[in-house]
Amino acid sequence: MAILLLLIPISLLLIGIAGALFLWAVNHDQFEELDRHGFDILDDSSGDDS
Amino acid sequence: MTVSTISVRDMHCASCVGRIERHLEGVKGIVATHINPARRLVLVEHASDTDPVSLLQLIEDAGFQPSLARIDRGSAGQRDLLKRLGIAGLAMMQVMMFAIALYAGAFTGMDEAYRRLLELASLAFCIPVVAYSAMPFFHSALSAFGHRRRGAGLSMDVPIALAIAAAFAVSLAHTLSGAGEVYYDSVVMFTFLLLAARYVDDRLKARFEDANASLGNLPEQALVRDAAGSTRPRNLAQIEPGSLVWVEQGNRVPLDGTVVRGTATLDESALTGESTWVRRLAGEAVFAGTLNQGAGFELRTTATADATRMAGIAELAARAQAGKAPLARLADRIAARFVPAVLALAAVTWLAWQLVDPERAFVAALTVLVVSCPCALSLATPAAVTAALTRLRQNGAVLTRSDALEQIASVDAAIVDKTGTLTAPDPQLDGVTWLAASALSHDRLLALTAALERHANHPLARAFARACPDAEPGALSDVTVIPGAGVSGRFGDTRLKVGHAAFCGAPEEDARAVFLTVDDVPVARFDIADPVRADAAAAIRGLQAAGLEVTMISGDAVERCAELASELGIDFAARQSPETKLEITRALQQRGRRVLVVGDGINDVPALAAADVSATVLESSDLVKSKADVLLLSRRLGALVDLVHIGRRARRIVRQNLFWALTYNLTAVPIAALGLMPPWLAALGMASSSVLVMSNAARLLGRAGAD
Repeated sequence: MAILLLLIPISLLLIGIAGALFLWAVNHDQFEELDRHGFDILDDSSGDDS
Repeated sequence: MTVSTISVRDMHCASCVGRIERHLEGVKGIVATHINPARRLVLVEHASDTDPVSLLQLIEDAGFQPSLARIDRGSAGQRDLLKRLGIAGLAMMQVMMFAIALYAGAFTGMDEAYRRLLELASLAFCIPVVAYSAMPFFHSALSAFGHRRRGAGLSMDVPIALAIAAAFAVSLAHTLSGAGEVYYDSVVMFTFLLLAARYVDDRLKARFEDANASLGNLPEQALVRDAAGSTRPRNLAQIEPGSLVWVEQGNRVPLDGTVVRGTATLDESALTGESTWVRRLAGEAVFAGTLNQGAGFELRTTATADATRMAGIAELAARAQAGKAPLARLADRIAARFVPAVLALAAVTWLAWQLVDPERAFVAALTVLVVSCPCALSLATPAAVTAALTRLRQNGAVLTRSDALEQIASVDAAIVDKTGTLTAPDPQLDGVTWLAASALSHDRLLALTAALERHANHPLARAFARACPDAEPGALSDVTVIPGAGVSGRFGDTRLKVGHAAFCGAPEEDARAVFLTVDDVPVARFDIADPVRADAAAAIRGLQAAGLEVTMISGDAVERCAELASELGIDFAARQSPETKLEITRALQQRGRRVLVVGDGINDVPALAAADVSATVLESSDLVKSKADVLLLSRRLGALVDLVHIGRRARRIVRQNLFWALTYNLTAVPIAALGLMPPWLAALGMASSSVLVMSNAARLLGRAGAD
């Protein structure tokens, strides 16, 4: 069980990273305009290079 | 760097998006473009010295009719809440896992060192939740104390904040002293659930504030001609009465005025709700908010932007809305009495234990606070409301304010508008019977009929416009409109007449048919339907079965209303103005009825605003949507019946929840005060009463079609 002494601090660190990523995502509009991308598939003009 | 929000109402599809994007691409001064097709908004990031009007020009060049949106939404607030919620959620997952280990350890025995480790880890995750996620509760609780007026309005946030703070403080003290229970799991879960409920509520509200902000979709600017004869755009607010304003085809009339040059063909449905195009000749009055369907015309303004008729109707609605009795939330009303009692009880417990056994005073007082934490009580209403909103959404109805649900349950009378609400939004060309041969093809004749109808001031003209949208009125000459009869005109050497049977010399007498003659020979008969919505009769029966007294009101003529009303088996009032519609609503309310008003036109807005509950259909204008409590998303009027049933079930469940929560609190509090309850049982009781309340609310989601 001594491994907990290592694993729990690691979990703290990982959740810290996850939290930071989440805040980054919110601050960079990743949760804005959630409808937009559903329309992209209908858009013939995007991805012209394909 | 500036961001301009441009509303492009006629952007409907993905290729429109691409077209606008290409037009804005690489233009000097534009940094980035974000397009939201769902809300039909274009957000342009541009250099501060770029004139937003030049952006409008660019989008116009792409073939659209943009207007600067007056939208400045506080999405920052929502974003902030999302961050707090996300952090609380992440922390909750961790703390709950540690809590399971701690609970298991409490029963089976656990090494002191590991218990302390788990507690410290829980504390580490709990700190950001209390210090960051729960901050809004603390702020609100503090300001509630600040604004307190003689016993009124201690909000639910006060006990929430106190419970969070107290549970955290006692846990922290126990962790540091190394003895006693910790409640980090309860703190984090409680915060997360409350934030989640708040976030869902916020999102719903924000969606409908969009409609509110665009207020009937008036443009921000108008083309004004000055004394020198040059035309340039100016902001509406700066235009004085007596100015000459040019209204282009397809644009909204920006200000009230009289026509001075050209002839206006207007779709006044935004103002009247009736889908008839009207012609306004030179000297006649036109109103802001109506849509110019014909060629451009010039008007001389008679009012400033804030004194237009549309602004007047909006103000009437605002006043009616303000006249509504303020409906405090039921849970908050209870909390207002419950909270001081709990606080007093905790204080009394503490004092009493000081006399008996000072060692136990702190724990006993905190146990009282924790066990009586109105967690279940505060969840009782929002959980049921959220479940009911979700269920309503599935059934095609959206509530614009969540406290409307409470009023829906007590509705016992309904006032329903006819045109556009009971009937389908537009009349339809039902069928064409060709009576005689002609030199012109059938398609050509249909197009010419549609072109002639464009000149007519007739409700049925729209059916042709829809059947044949590319008709060109310009191909015709010598067009004469004979009101109440029909239209005649010339196409080259051919004389054409469109109108009712007598006007066209047709044999039949059918008030609903329209005939076309070519050189006085009847060649075609058009059947027009102004159809009742498919399930209107069933929906009315459903409302009546639910105990509602249903009345139909309309601005339409008596005969047309009578026919439909007898078909549906309801009372009616014909030829009503916005003011009399409001009076009818008020009269019903004075007789003690709770009135549901369903309408779609701006002429219904005062009545909608005065109603206990107002509902509107998807096709109505933004102003109407912004005033309505309920928006029906489907063309199915049956959603109204679901609305009433779900509203009543939601009220029942809210009452059950409040009953359970109160019973739990009232039984548990005395036990805790007597020091007979260990703190872990208090925490468990708090959690399980919340679960009970939540699962009761979830019953609203199930049993599809049970109503």
